[in-house]
Amino acid sequence: MNQTMTPLVDPRIWDETTAALRAAAAKLLTDGTVAAVVGYVAGRRSGSAMPAIVSTAAEAETLIFSPSCTNNLSLYLTRSKKSIGARGKLAVMVKGCDLRALAGLISENQLQRDQVVILGLACPGVYAAAADRRQPLSAENIAGKCRECSVRTPENVDQLLGRLPELPPLEDSEAAELARLEALTPPERWGFWNGHFSRCIRCLACRQVCPFCFCEQCLCDRNRPQGVEGSPRPAGNTAWHIVRAMHLAGRCAGCAECESACPMEIPLNLLNRKMAQELKELYGYESGTEAQEKGPLTSYDEKDDQSFIK
Amino acid sequence: MSRIGVFVCHCGENISRTVDVEAVAADAGRLPGVAFACDYKYMCSDPGQNLLKKAIAEHRLDGVVVAACSPRMHEKTFRKAAESAGLNAYRCEMANIREHCSWVHEDRSEATAKAGAIVAMLAARVSRNKSLAAITVPVTKRALVIGGGIAGIQAALDIADCGHDVVLVERDPSIGGHMAQLSETFPTLDCSQCIMTPKMVDVANHPKITLHTYSEIEQVDGYIGNFSVKIRKKARSVDMSKCTGCGVCMAKCPQKKIPNAFDCDRGLRPAIYVPFPQAVPNTPVIDRENCTFFKSGKCGLCAKVCGPGAVDYAQQDEIVLESIGAIVVATGFDLYDIGKKPAGSAIEGYGEFGYGTLPDVIDGMTFERLASASGPTGGRIVRPSDGKEPKEVVFIQCVGSRAREKGISYCSKICCMYTAKHTMLYKHKVHDGQAYVFFMDARTPGKGYDEFWRRAVEEEDAAYIRGMVSRLYQKGEKIVVMGSDISVGVRVEIEADLVVLATAVQPRQGADSLAQKLGISYDKYNFYSEAHAKLRPVECATAGIYLAGACQGPKDIPESVSQASAAAAKVMTLFSRAQMERDPMVARVNERLCAACLACKKVCPYGAIEEKEIRDRQGNLVRTVASVNPGVCGGCGTCQATCPSKSVELDGYTDEQIMAMIETL
Amino acid sequence: MHPTKQHQFEPKIVAFVCTWCTYAGADLAGTSRLQYPSNVRVVKFPCTGRIDPLFILRAFQKGADGVLVSGCHPGDCHYMAGNFHARRRFAAFRHLLDFVGVDLKRLLFSWVSAAEGGKWVEVVTEFTESLKTMEPMKEFRALEGQEHWSSLIDTPELQESYDAIP
Repeated sequence: MNQTMTPLVDPRIWDETTAALRAAAAKLLTDGTVAAVVGYVAGRRSGSAMPAIVSTAAEAETLIFSPSCTNNLSLYLTRSKKSIGARGKLAVMVKGCDLRALAGLISENQLQRDQVVILGLACPGVYAAAADRRQPLSAENIAGKCRECSVRTPENVDQLLGRLPELPPLEDSEAAELARLEALTPPERWGFWNGHFSRCIRCLACRQVCPFCFCEQCLCDRNRPQGVEGSPRPAGNTAWHIVRAMHLAGRCAGCAECESACPMEIPLNLLNRKMAQELKELYGYESGTEAQEKGPLTSYDEKDDQSFIK
Repeated sequence: MSRIGVFVCHCGENISRTVDVEAVAADAGRLPGVAFACDYKYMCSDPGQNLLKKAIAEHRLDGVVVAACSPRMHEKTFRKAAESAGLNAYRCEMANIREHCSWVHEDRSEATAKAGAIVAMLAARVSRNKSLAAITVPVTKRALVIGGGIAGIQAALDIADCGHDVVLVERDPSIGGHMAQLSETFPTLDCSQCIMTPKMVDVANHPKITLHTYSEIEQVDGYIGNFSVKIRKKARSVDMSKCTGCGVCMAKCPQKKIPNAFDCDRGLRPAIYVPFPQAVPNTPVIDRENCTFFKSGKCGLCAKVCGPGAVDYAQQDEIVLESIGAIVVATGFDLYDIGKKPAGSAIEGYGEFGYGTLPDVIDGMTFERLASASGPTGGRIVRPSDGKEPKEVVFIQCVGSRAREKGISYCSKICCMYTAKHTMLYKHKVHDGQAYVFFMDARTPGKGYDEFWRRAVEEEDAAYIRGMVSRLYQKGEKIVVMGSDISVGVRVEIEADLVVLATAVQPRQGADSLAQKLGISYDKYNFYSEAHAKLRPVECATAGIYLAGACQGPKDIPESVSQASAAAAKVMTLFSRAQMERDPMVARVNERLCAACLACKKVCPYGAIEEKEIRDRQGNLVRTVASVNPGVCGGCGTCQATCPSKSVELDGYTDEQIMAMIETL
Repeated sequence: MHPTKQHQFEPKIVAFVCTWCTYAGADLAGTSRLQYPSNVRVVKFPCTGRIDPLFILRAFQKGADGVLVSGCHPGDCHYMAGNFHARRRFAAFRHLLDFVGVDLKRLLFSWVSAAEGGKWVEVVTEFTESLKTMEPMKEFRALEGQEHWSSLIDTPELQESYDAIP
């Protein structure tokens, strides 16, 4: 169906950014400002990209930026990847959504701001999970989360790499789906989610790929008590996804990597987006690119809404 | 495997009338983990408790459920009984089958079924209970009192009289606070200084009280029983150990025209001064901002004339470190300066009253200084503009208070009484004078208060007009007061010689920054928050810190003294034992699991959680974790509900215990 | 709902309450001998701040037809701010449950103070009556019986393969 896909932007945009980030990375490494740079390199399959950690100027030449750079690299700065942080000060390449996660990690004491050089990437968007990486980025194959992105040119970065071209407005498919679900009756919604949760195989890729799932022991792995059943039965899966969505409420950066990583194509980002929408409406909270002292669920206002309380 | 004992109480007939207690006991005996079950008429009685103790011993019980009344009634009773039988108190739970069951459900089968369900729930819980021991926290028996007004003085004396050391810190050069500025006090009209100065002298002479005046709190670290406080003793420029209080320096100082804050800027003082003659300590202070020597390097007269050579221009601020067990905050109040709107003030300006622009519009404290025999006019009530005696004085109540639109919604409490007092002081001095009072209500509830107020109205001819004032303006030598009398529904205009405003009471300047140093809560007006409005009015939520006086809310002298003694009593409770014993149902962090996101720290209402470093044997930092101070934790469990991994758990209310209860449904 | 349905089942209600306010209020209802339906089982917490959304979820999974969460009025929390945090937590959680398809008429929140024995009775009675007009909650219970996802034979190919098993 390639004839209907018009490229969203001139592909040379990414070449420019790639050149800029190679230069920036090389300089940071040769100056000794950082011990390593976390970025993307070309993947094994044509058009794909994968995370990489480079520590020499020569290696910096292999760094790229393309619409395949879907991974949230702030994941590599979390406590489970201790060996990376142990190298010393790092530079990390972040798209706007990734930066929100990085800011959240700093807010949650997982990272010190002065231990990381933030290389912001001007990003027109990345591919949807199942998109063919050989095709140019288009309105049809762009990820749902990118359609109404407000952080394409991330602020609060140490260096901004690349520039953002003019982009046509895109329909927010996630918002449309959210509205569609909200208009259903509860039993219909239950049926929708049950249909998805019952297919979950509890691979926990969603947890592995989420920068905020840094708990040393996940609640669902606890058996004294066992609050969330471990086996991939619909009952346990439902509990798992509800609990995870609640634990991420007020923290999730909206990178949608969980949904990207899910092998069963469960629309996980809808849950996170719903929570973000409610927290914005209730408390004016939005995930941002700067670290904050407290989140919406670790603070309160005496005048908070209590219309739902008798 | 658990060995739980279940004891089902008849409570006479209170429970057995609607609940088949024998059946409940029989069913309980068949529950998993229950080794013994019985029913009895009165479990809380002596034989009932003995039954409990015997069963614990005979059946080697490791957990006990007493199905009876509410735990709010007898939990302590049965926990004590269990403890005395050798079973840890916290392995004893109560199943509420009276208040929550037998008393509220008439149908016998329903009530019995529910009682059985409640017992099963509590038995499941108890099987997950752990033994807990009371937490002991050492206590340094040394109190800090911040503020040397009447409340601070009273608290310091009460604590010191019990034989404990007290450190009293006062920001001004002398203790005494606002009470020292008053002329006569209601409802008795006795001389304020006369009743206060003996107490001030007691403080100065008390062997157990260390007085730091002209000092401020710099930093507070630590927690209840174990505070570490840095006090900044500001440089007086006078060596206290040498000064004899002879006063020659003040007499000789060439700078004599500095407005004296003690006299509400109506009197004048030299640059080296004591704020008032009865100051304690009677050691002067050099006002370096206005002193010629400090401004230009010239003069130095006071050092030359000082016999003992006590003047020391080179004196520096000194930081004193004190170890403190309990802190009483008694920083008092100030009146609003309502002409201007100070930054951050809750109150809007009252430009219409001309305060600050019309010289003969003054506030209540200024009136006190005029009336005071040791004041700037020697006790004569005169107009600031021309020194003439005012024959018509208008007093306006509620200026700023009770005015939500302007910014302050509370009542300042003391003004109805002091205004009535002012009308009487005025009348006693200006026999042919007429006092008018514009008021909304007369709030005079104290002992002898209403009688005092009625005296002003009925015997001393004060003309009380129920109504408010919209505007004041100067007309020649007089001030026109435009108001209304709402009892008869007319507008009233009075040409006054002097207008006295009863301005709102607010906490002292810097109350908020002090609160932040102490870690105590304050409201939007900067009054300090008590732990519970009715049941804990002199304690802060922050353990070990107590409140006395007007810093907690507007109040008069008798109340301030009462509250100060109450705060002292609280301090004495803390000091009465070598160690403090606390309920062990506090939170604890599992340091292996904690990822140090510190969400728990953010939500803890007590500030009981800090970040702690974990170091290896070589001293290298391995990681940090959250850490709960068991001396400060209040036991609410908000931390655990917030923690995604439940690395912090509330002992006594663990997830295991709660889930076990839910599993029995 | 069939208006003529006489479905008088007895709903199972779990109430998560705080010790200092609602539990005391329920005690007061008892001392005052006020009568109310016996469907509710009270689980005591020190503070609503301690109540984890997981408990609500678990209660539904274990067969509760309705869950009630009740604590001190804002400003009255014995621990000063526990109920403020709980308020936000539950405001968010109920939206999540609603989104996933749980009927929010089965989840009730209230502020009941230690002096409000009457309110406790009112809340419990109204909640019980309202749940009686609904059916037993089947959503989570139905899941309990379901095994691995692959037991769902929801495509023609799967059905064919399943049928081909001798």
